[in-house]
Amino acid sequence: MLEIILLIILVLAILSLQFKDLLSAIISLAAFSFMLSLLFYYLHAPDVAIAEAAVGAGVTTILFVLVISRTKRRER
Amino acid sequence: MERSQIVTMVSRKLVPFILLFGLYLISYGHLSPGGGFQGGVVLASGILLLFLSHGFTLVQRSFPERHLNLTELVMVLLFLLLGLAGLLLGKSFLSNILLLGEAGEIPSAGFILLLNMIIGLKVGAGITLICFYLFRS
Repeated sequence: MLEIILLIILVLAILSLQFKDLLSAIISLAAFSFMLSLLFYYLHAPDVAIAEAAVGAGVTTILFVLVISRTKRRER
Repeated sequence: MERSQIVTMVSRKLVPFILLFGLYLISYGHLSPGGGFQGGVVLASGILLLFLSHGFTLVQRSFPERHLNLTELVMVLLFLLLGLAGLLLGKSFLSNILLLGEAGEIPSAGFILLLNMIIGLKVGAGITLICFYLFRS
């Protein structure tokens, strides 16, 4: 279970660096954050898991989407 | 970017539940995982989702910048006053001055519940204000 979650986290991190479409990169970063919070919950730290899910998957994602709605969507 | 109908509709239905979950995290922070900071961040993310889906002017109407600013400042003051209340009664800073109550019920654990509410409101108002200052054009 632990290895599977860690592998998914690694794949999502690499994906979010490789995407040229910034909206896709943000979505994969949110999924990365969600899997990280799942990992924290699995390691018996539910408090940290809630903080990670709220900050990483919630506020940061909305902030990034707001930023690309004001700037360009494609990376040059 | 243009806004799609789906995003507007889903976020309009979802935001009240996000705010309710934030209040739940704050008010049960001393009994279960959660607490002031996490609940405050969830509250702020609910308001920011409304900001993302409905635009700045509508959010400004329901959550005016002045009120958020005032909330944040008053909460700092209240936190300090609650801390100093223990000092006045001859105990240390931030020591409990209320009755402890039955363990496992909501009004238990002295004034940790009060401190959680103060911190939750402050964090929610603060993070919302940061994004308002960044994105009001």
